[in-house]
Formats: sequence, C-alpha cells, structure tokens
Amino acid sequence: MDELIEVRDLYKSFGNHKVLKGLNIKVSKGEVIAVIGPSGCGKSTFLRSLNLLERPTSGKIFFEGTDITDESVDINKVREKMGMVFQQFNLFPNMTVRENIMLAPVKCGKMKAEEAAVKAEELLARIGLLDKAGAYPSQLSGGQKQRIAIIRALAMNPDVMLFDEPTSALDPEMVGEVLELMRELAAEGMTMIVVTHEMGFAREVASRILFVNDGGIQEDNDPKELFANPKTPRLKEFLAKVL
Amino acid sequence: MKKKRIVSYIAAVILLAAVIAGYSYYKGQTEKRQLEEAKKNEITGVEDLPGRKIGVQMGTTGDTYAKDYEGDESGTSVERFNKGTDAVQALKVGKIDCVIIDILTAEAFVEKNKELKILEEEFTNEDYAICVDKSNTELKEKINGALQELREDGTLQQISDYYTGAEEVKGKNPYRMMQDVKRDNGTLSMATNAEFPPYEYFDKGEIVGADVDMMQAVCDRLGMTLEIQNMEFDAIITAVESGKADVGAAGMTVTEDRLKSIDFTDSYTNSKQVIIVKDFALSAKKQSLRESLYDNFIKDNRYEYLLKGFGNTLLITLFAVLIGILLGLLIALVRTGYDRNGSMPVLNLLCRIYLTVVRGTPAVVQLLIIYYVILTSVHNKILVAVIAFGLNSAAYVAEVIRSGIMSVDIGQFEAGRSLGLNYHQTMVSIIIPQAVKNILPALCNEFIVLLKETSISGYIGLMDLTKGGDIIRSITYEAYVPLYAVALIYLVTVMLLSAGVNCLEKRLRKSER
Repeated sequence: MDELIEVRDLYKSFGNHKVLKGLNIKVSKGEVIAVIGPSGCGKSTFLRSLNLLERPTSGKIFFEGTDITDESVDINKVREKMGMVFQQFNLFPNMTVRENIMLAPVKCGKMKAEEAAVKAEELLARIGLLDKAGAYPSQLSGGQKQRIAIIRALAMNPDVMLFDEPTSALDPEMVGEVLELMRELAAEGMTMIVVTHEMGFAREVASRILFVNDGGIQEDNDPKELFANPKTPRLKEFLAKVL
Repeated sequence: MKKKRIVSYIAAVILLAAVIAGYSYYKGQTEKRQLEEAKKNEITGVEDLPGRKIGVQMGTTGDTYAKDYEGDESGTSVERFNKGTDAVQALKVGKIDCVIIDILTAEAFVEKNKELKILEEEFTNEDYAICVDKSNTELKEKINGALQELREDGTLQQISDYYTGAEEVKGKNPYRMMQDVKRDNGTLSMATNAEFPPYEYFDKGEIVGADVDMMQAVCDRLGMTLEIQNMEFDAIITAVESGKADVGAAGMTVTEDRLKSIDFTDSYTNSKQVIIVKDFALSAKKQSLRESLYDNFIKDNRYEYLLKGFGNTLLITLFAVLIGILLGLLIALVRTGYDRNGSMPVLNLLCRIYLTVVRGTPAVVQLLIIYYVILTSVHNKILVAVIAFGLNSAAYVAEVIRSGIMSVDIGQFEAGRSLGLNYHQTMVSIIIPQAVKNILPALCNEFIVLLKETSISGYIGLMDLTKGGDIIRSITYEAYVPLYAVALIYLVTVMLLSAGVNCLEKRLRKSER
C-alpha cells in the first residue's frame, strides 16, 4: 500500500500544557481512519497538526514523502492537497455558496473562473443543492452548510480529507445527511481522517480506528477488533460510556 | 421606521430652537445685570487698571505691557486673544473690562461698535518695524534703503494719511502699485495677520491695509513681487525664522524678547496703545436678525468666505480620509500579522511607536509641527493639512481596523488557510471584507470626528469653514450669526454623512440575511 502520511514523534505544547507527547502514525492511501478519544485528549490538536494549523513543538510530519515541518516547504501548496472540514463549518458568510466553492481553486491558480464555476455546479448537483448556488450561508440549514463545506474542500481535488468533529455542531436530524456524504466519499476511495464521536459511523465506515488518550495513540486497530476486544482499561471505560 | 426617524429629527430641531430661544432670554437678563455691575466699576484711566480683566491680542505690544500688571496683589488678569476682534467681542459681552490695543485699530473698532469708546489717556507710544530673519542682513539693508527713499519722497506719509490721517486727507489719495516696474528680483513673501485694521485686514476677500501698501511700495522700489501670507499673529515670527516667509509686517513693535529670535528693520511708522472700554452713556442699538444676516453674508458677498472655507474643509477631509484608510489598513495588517504569525517584528515596533506618538499628542500640535518644522519647504497649506490630518487619522483608523480584523472568527482565517490560500489572500478575500462590515459604524464615526477636527486648520492660516466664519466675525464684529452658521453647516454635513453610512451599512448587512 502507498504511504501517504507519516507522523514521527509529534510533540505539541501550549505554554506549559503538553497536549501531544510523542505521537507516531502512518496512513496509507485509501484508508478511512476514525480518531476517537475522551475530550481534551489531543485528537483535534493531532488532526490540526497534520496541515500545520497547529505548528508542532517538535517531531516530523511527512506528506507524500516530504517533511512538511521543514521551513522551506511551501505549506500553502501542501494544504491544497489536504482538504479540511471544521466542526463550525466556517463557510464565508460574505460570499454566496458558489463563491465559497470557487474562491480557493481560482485564488490558488488551480482553475480559471469558468472551470471553477463548472466544478462548483457539478459538486452542488452531486449533493442536490444546485438550487442554493446563489444563496448566502445564513440562508442554509446546518446540514446543508456542512455538506457545502465538504464539497468546498473537494473542489481543490485533495489527496486526503481531514474532518474535525464534522457532526458535533449539528442538530441530530441533520447528522445523517452529512455522514451519508462522507460514507460516499469513503466508498469512492478517498483517504480520510475523521475525528468523531459517532461510534456507529466509526464502526461501519472506518477501515481503522485510533484511540487517542493522554497525548498519544493508545490503541490502533480495525473497528471490529477494537470494539470487541479493547486492550487497555482506559478504552474499555471510554467505550462503556459512549456506547 | 422611517417616519419615526423623521419625527425624531423634527423633535431635535424644535428642541434646539427652544434651547436657543431660552438661552437668548437668559442672556438678555444676565446682560442687564452685568451692565449695572460694570457701570459701578467703570475704568476712566490707566490708574484704574489694577484688579481688572484686561484683554489684549496675543503677542502684540499691548500684551507685552499688560504683562506688567498681571498677577499683582489686586488680582489683575490678562486675557490673551488670537485676534483683536475676539477681544473686542469679549469686551462687548462683558467678559473683560477693557482692551489695550493700537490706537488706529482701536479707532477702527470703535467706529463700528458705537457702544465702545477710547479713553483719552494714552497707554504707551510705540514704533512699528518689519521683522526679518537674523541671517538675512542683505534683505534688511535693502528694505532699510527703500524705506529711507519712501520717507524722503513722502510715500510713507501718503499711506499713513490715507488710512489714519485727519479728516481732510483720510481716504483721499491711496498708494497705487507701480505698474511700469521690472519685477525681476524675485518674490518677497510677507507674513501678516489680517485682523488688525487699518494695518492689515480683509476687504472683499483681499488682504489690504497700511502695512500692505507700505510693503507694496517697498517691493516697487526693490523690483520684487509681493506675496502675502495670512496667519495667526504669534506665528509670524516663527514663519519668518523657518523661512516660510521672508518678512513679517503686522504692526509689530521692536521688543527685547522679539530681538532674541528675529531682527527688525528701521521703523516705518509709530503708534500709540490705548484703552478701549464700554461707553455706558450710549446703549447699543440692537441689530435686527435680518440686518445681521445681510451684514454677515450678503454684503460684499461675504458668504463666499464660508463657501470657500467649506470647500477647503471638504477637500482636506476627503483626502485625509483616503490617506487615513490606506495607511491605517497597512498599519493594521502589520500589527495583526505580528499578532498572528510573529512576522515583521521591527515594522510592528515602528507602527506601535507611531500609534503611541500620534494618539498621545493633540492634533493641533501635530499640525503645527508638520507645518513649521517638518514640511517647511511646502507652501501649499492644503497639502500640509491633508498630510497632517491623514497621518493623524491613520493612527485611529489602524486601531479600528485591527479591532475589526480581530473580531472576525478565527475559524474564518483557518478555513481560508486550510484551503491553500496564503496569509495575504486570506486577509484580502475573506477577513477584511467581513472586518469592514463590522467596523463601518466606528470608521464612519472616526471620519465625522476628522471632519470636525479640520476646524483647527486656521492655526496654519488656512481658510477652512471655521476660519471663514472667523474672518466674517472679524469684519462684522458679531459672534452670534457667523458662529451659528458655521455650526449649522458642520451639523448638516455630519447628519448627511451619517445617513449615507446607514444606507451603506444596510446594504452590506443583506448578505447575512
């Protein structure tokens, strides 16, 4: 299998507070990885470190063979290949849906405006929201916003998608439509790393689950095995609470 | 919604009118009381001065002599005014007891203000001379030579007769500028303070007077072209020293203090300082509002002072706003860039020093420093004012924009960066448009403040709206109408601006609904 991401000895502190304490992981192309763990364990920080939204205190992160923590690497070029979806959607409220999707491909010089517009319409048609192309984010439901945030990231044709608790800010009845879209992406072979509390989704869609606790990866297993035979008492305790 | 606003505007206007009417009544009552009190304390001669409030024009000879009385046991106080007119107005409304001023000026004032009189007893006798920069002895000698000739051929006498002579010669034979002179010896720039009739004053929009004619005669002899710069009296010496003007001629007396910083030519005329007081024997005839409006605005097209001044005020504000926004935005970007990424620490430090200095000093001081110290070679006053107010406004705008940028959710920034946009693109495409919307009211407020702040332009002799009103005031000796007119113009402009910004704000908000 092709190796896409490798993290070596990742440390991250905020002031005196150590969040990540030597985290190691390898991710191959096509994997769908769910990251679970109690709140405050560092799973979001881990995810945000992957595209350097958080600069690691020490350690190396390789993406497609390059160490992106190296100062000489143009991080903007790297980020073009790593799509990211946030808990709070972070759509740009001053732009229409179409403009939201077209902005990055055009600004980063990946596409001309006409191409980007075609791409935006294709993606919108795919999620059945073509009629919302001219709407502003404030006119959309939470589920619609998050699905548009996902296709906004897809418009850049990324090699990996990072999801930071994508359904946590949604009303329960809207979680389904977002998970459905993510399930489709997984089925198409997109490499995904998903920080989530949706255990059902993790069990069903993920090819591999990471249990993060105390600044490191405590268990790394396929879903069946991890849910059936948790090895550490901490994971047992965690699963007992969330399942 | 709209109706409510109109109603509240009408209510505001009615309230304003009521306040003015009420105040006028109250003023009438207090004036009566003050008059009775003042009558008891009438000044009849120099020996009555101790213990009184003496008004003078700042920096004049009257000021120098009045200083001797200041702070004595009897509690004499000296009130210094920028202009003789202001002192006379203060005397008229009873804020001071007398004004010490040049006799010719005093005569001009009393002629137009029947309720004032000049005491027979003179205060002092003095000589007037032209001031020149100390290093410029060549010019001084040339002027002295010209004055000598003018004295010998009777020109100085002719000028003095025309403005201040006895009944039979006064106003009869003015000095006429020589037309057939070759003026190839350059320009002679004269600093003056056109608030000092009959030596220098505004008439139909032009600066005229005995000093102006005298300097014109000097220029005619020297083959030079005369250029006149109007400014505050106490700024004349600085202007000559800093090279903004070649000479100063404004009824100036040679004093020891002045000789420390400047040189003087020979005297060209002499004058007396006298005391003006209220003449309680005559009660002033009140002008009707109609007469007053005619006098202040229509007569001799005086409204043009306001019109031209208002034009300058708008011009200065507009360009200062542009500088303010551009420079302010740059500073804000440097500051937030440093806050977010730690980039450009040196530039950030410079910006912080700039903000501290500009926000920690009064705008009027900044204006004076820029005009007299930094941009000494720039003679275009509007340009100087635009730069000064632009630099000042930039500091405030920078902090407003910075707070606006900080108020945009950090998630917006992260979303932009995670899509591959660089810092600059994220700022320009995503953050700044949202920030501008958030800060529009504060920004607008800043510009309204700036519009009003430009009213200090008069300090460098620039005729803005306020100064235009001041000039009318110095011609008509009336405070009420010109000041209210100026205030009203500012008020209406500000209200229009606010309404415009409200509209814009509503349109920008649309995207969020």
